[in-house]
Amino acid sequence: MFLHAIGFGIVTAAVLALAAVGFTVQFGITNILNLAYGDVMTAAAFVAYVSSSAGLNPWWGMVFGGLFGAVFSVLLNRFLYTPFIRRGARLFTMIIVTIAVSLILQNCLQAIFGPDFVSVRISAGATVRVLGMVFTATQLIVIAIAAVALAALHGLLRYTRLGKAMRATASDPALARNCGVQTRWVIDGAWLLSGLLCGLAGVALVTELGSFDFTTGSVFLIPVIAAAVLGGVGHPYGAMLGALVIGLATALDATYFSPTYQDVVAFLVLIVVLLVRPQGIFAEVASQKEVAA
Amino acid sequence: MTSVQRQRASSAAQAALLRVDDLAKSYGGVHAVAGVSFDVPRGRITGLIGPNGAGKSTALAMVAGAIKPSRGSVLLNGTNVAGWPSHKIARRGLARTFQQSSDFSGMTVTENLLTAPYGQRGDTLRGALLGRRYWRAEQESLTARAADLIERFDMARMANEFAGTLSGGQRRLLEIMRALMTEPEILLLDEAMAGVNPALGARIEDYLLQLRQDGLTMLMVEHEMSVVERLCDPVIVMAQGEVLAEGTMDQIRSDHRVLDAYLNG
Amino acid sequence: MSLAWSFYIATVLVYLGVDLMACWGLNLQYGYTGIVNFSFIIYQAAGAYTAAVLTLGPQTAGSFQQYVGGANLPFPLPVIAGGIAGGLLSAVVGVIALRRLRSDYQAMVFLVISLIATAVVTSDVGLFNGPAGLSLIPQPMSTALNLSLVGYRWFYVGLTAVICLIVYAFVWRITSAPLGRSLRAVRDHEQGAAALGKNVTGLRMTSFVVGGVIAGISGAVLVEFISAWSPGAWLYQETFVLFAAVIVGGTANNAGVALGALLVPVAFLEGSRFLPQFGPPGLIDALQWVAVGLMTLVFLWFWPRGVLPERRRIIQLPGQQQARTGLQRPVDYEKTAETR
Repeated sequence: MFLHAIGFGIVTAAVLALAAVGFTVQFGITNILNLAYGDVMTAAAFVAYVSSSAGLNPWWGMVFGGLFGAVFSVLLNRFLYTPFIRRGARLFTMIIVTIAVSLILQNCLQAIFGPDFVSVRISAGATVRVLGMVFTATQLIVIAIAAVALAALHGLLRYTRLGKAMRATASDPALARNCGVQTRWVIDGAWLLSGLLCGLAGVALVTELGSFDFTTGSVFLIPVIAAAVLGGVGHPYGAMLGALVIGLATALDATYFSPTYQDVVAFLVLIVVLLVRPQGIFAEVASQKEVAA
Repeated sequence: MTSVQRQRASSAAQAALLRVDDLAKSYGGVHAVAGVSFDVPRGRITGLIGPNGAGKSTALAMVAGAIKPSRGSVLLNGTNVAGWPSHKIARRGLARTFQQSSDFSGMTVTENLLTAPYGQRGDTLRGALLGRRYWRAEQESLTARAADLIERFDMARMANEFAGTLSGGQRRLLEIMRALMTEPEILLLDEAMAGVNPALGARIEDYLLQLRQDGLTMLMVEHEMSVVERLCDPVIVMAQGEVLAEGTMDQIRSDHRVLDAYLNG
Repeated sequence: MSLAWSFYIATVLVYLGVDLMACWGLNLQYGYTGIVNFSFIIYQAAGAYTAAVLTLGPQTAGSFQQYVGGANLPFPLPVIAGGIAGGLLSAVVGVIALRRLRSDYQAMVFLVISLIATAVVTSDVGLFNGPAGLSLIPQPMSTALNLSLVGYRWFYVGLTAVICLIVYAFVWRITSAPLGRSLRAVRDHEQGAAALGKNVTGLRMTSFVVGGVIAGISGAVLVEFISAWSPGAWLYQETFVLFAAVIVGGTANNAGVALGALLVPVAFLEGSRFLPQFGPPGLIDALQWVAVGLMTLVFLWFWPRGVLPERRRIIQLPGQQQARTGLQRPVDYEKTAETR
């Protein structure tokens, strides 16, 4: 039973990590809590749904979903968030803006696709035993996709010019600009990347859940933010760690305590971290790693 | 106790309105202020100067209660207020300005002044709910006092403008006027001349001298040496979190330790 | 005027009254004191449930609804109790959650609190009957008065109007007194306010709890009217609507906020009833929300201070000529999102 819970936790953590890293990159670059993030995930999932309904191999849905997330996020930032920031919007005003976007997006999805649950038809595949834990083939593929994506991100951040520019801009935008970093492109690149992760996470999430509706992403947003905040907002490696912690904690709680209250774990983690240590538990560890890299 | 401390204790005891003893603040392993002791005598403008990173603003913040000291005592009129929250210290007669002006930008100049005095009748929930008749009289006398200040500091034109529309120097002046509305015993000035244009700066200096003549005690952290020269006596020099020297401006200027500190920064 | 119209307008007026009170309460917290209370709806719900339970009477053996407490109190006691409940809940939440946080983190904390509250009440059927909520709540004085259906509606409009006036009187007294200035001082520069001797935490709590009491009263008035209340009615989107009303109408300006209450919850959400039903069920609701979201964005862009921005309070100084009127707006008292 314990291993079963752990296995479940790992799958959740994988999806959560994809989403949380994307979220935290957006925050690190633009300093706003993008509460529409979950709904972009849902939208990407619907893109995958459309593609799989049209008869394409369901895994293409993941590609399209990721692309959708990337493009939508860049446009969202370029044409809505950044103009508001330039206009002098306060931090709280930006939250209202992102919630407005979230409501618009969610309800557009409802208007188009209706209120019922739908699903992306991916067969679960054969069950596989790994280290005593049971996974379906699909779950393993999802974990693999998450691992690959995050490894690719790690490589990008560490070794490419864009990655270094992103880290510089995230830690000190004024200084970065003075050093000749083209902040505009860096920001666009960051949103493209995080949007890609967001889209992938959205499709991965609904693959794992089986069925979803227009609210699925926004419900998932709380654990995502919890993971990101736990790891220190703006720190991708911290977000990965945070995702692992929350994924496992949620799974254990669901298995051993109360299935109905499993969301509460994420809620409580988020509140406690924000009230007690908003910079995150792993912030120091994570930031050291970044500075060293 | 060293001889210096004994000397200070006996002679200056009566004249010191504020007396700081072994005040220190460390963050993790970093000693921002490593144990400073000094007196702020009544009715004079005491300067607190030193190179960047000396810990002057931190020391001031500790005195005002904005930062909790790691150790030490702050005697304000004989009461140790170290570690008290800033609003309680303020109620004891300590007023201060901030490096970045703390004026209330969403309110007019007059409202800024009227909101300053502590303990107004309409300032509690009960008082507010009792209605205008309960607090009106007091407000009228406060308004008269505010009008006097506005007149004295030549702000009549701006009296009903939003504080946020004032220039940097005017906002600093407003901060000082607002502090005066509380009828303080001591006024702490944190880099009051920073970002103020020279003409207005000169006016502010004149006002401060007038206030000293009226008997107000002041402690000013300041970077501009010319201002310190004109206004401050005594002057305390801090460097690297410690008090380096004390005395008149002439004494300070000829103290080689001070020159070293500034050169080595 | 046809009976149906009369019925409808009376209903809208009651909703308007309830939203007015809620907006004044939120404005006190947000517009005057700068508290980004994104959990506002739960205090309204607390007031509603308390009033409902105190009107329903104790749970009987065969009843299909489960809840805690119960009494059969006459009007206006349940409404007063609702206010107290809202205030108590605010006090508890305020002690835990009111911190010196950057405003978006603080908003998140409140948002999550409201989500937790929704989750708890929905899951725990014993508390307030779970997701089904409470219903069949008897309307105040309905048996005593014996009015027609429409007549009762208009009676309730009058009742709501009276309660609105009382609430407004309270809010007006607070905001026009020196206390109102102290709240705005806390909003504009917390440290500066503390340096003047103001107890910032105490002032925040005062504003928070008073706002909570008002929220509770508004919830109680609503539930006694519509006779039912379930957790589905108080999701975080409802708080968003109130914020939209306050922001669109004009923060820290009670008249502006009233206008916002009229524009957003009433005109927009109720007005859509007049659209012919098209498409599948739920489509119009979804489009309503899209419209609210778009409207909020548009207003935030063009009129970030609202349609009726905070007025400059001109004080006549003794010995001066008539004060000049100027056209300035207050400069922002919070760091913009661009600075870090």
